[in-house]
Amino acid sequence: MSFFRITLHRSAIGLPKRTRGVLMALGLRRRSQTVFHPVSAQFAGMILKVKELVRVEEVDRALSNSEVKAERTPDTGFFVERRGNATTTGEQGGLLRRGGVVREAMIMAAEEKKNSDSSRVVL
Amino acid sequence: MFGAFRITNPLSGGLLWKIPWRLSKFQKQRHRKRLRAVDDLVSVVDTALAKKGETLKALELWKAEMPTEAEMLPKDKYTIFDRNAKRYRKGIHKVPKWTRVSQRLNPPGY
Repeated sequence: MSFFRITLHRSAIGLPKRTRGVLMALGLRRRSQTVFHPVSAQFAGMILKVKELVRVEEVDRALSNSEVKAERTPDTGFFVERRGNATTTGEQGGLLRRGGVVREAMIMAAEEKKNSDSSRVVL
Repeated sequence: MFGAFRITNPLSGGLLWKIPWRLSKFQKQRHRKRLRAVDDLVSVVDTALAKKGETLKALELWKAEMPTEAEMLPKDKYTIFDRNAKRYRKGIHKVPKWTRVSQRLNPPGY
């Protein structure tokens, strides 16, 4: 089963209510939003109504929202080699994986803060 | 002072809208690009439907009636019929929302 991958490219500001209604019916609310609809005459007709505003591809399967997001998220630029406490990783891996280490330290700090918060709640 | 009804030269005098009478070459190029984008979209939808053996009246009508970007005359690409304009033509960029509406056909003979 194939799908139309429809992305809103141009805004519908100032266009007739019917045009905006078609976009609502397709589930497009904001620019660069992507939706998937099965290939059928019904959806093809809706696409043709807003053909100046959208970009369309035919794809084999519908991606979930998180998959679409993952597609356009850039590479983080680091990876976590191993977990440890903040001081030791700072000494050993600090030169090579600075970004990762910093993030590790931040996570540790956040966890400590969370723990202290939760303990306060318990008390 | 501010807002939609402020007193400015274009609003109080009238004839001060700075819309040039013809498109620049860059506007024309972007316009052609938009026309081609619509052509591509129609062909994508058409092939997708053809694979399923379906068709659509609006689609068939568009394919039968509308010229593609390559088939259009420059005159029809960049100008539009206007009964009030001198020689019955005005620039396509005078059409409201002209980058987001399709305007390809003009009355025969004009």
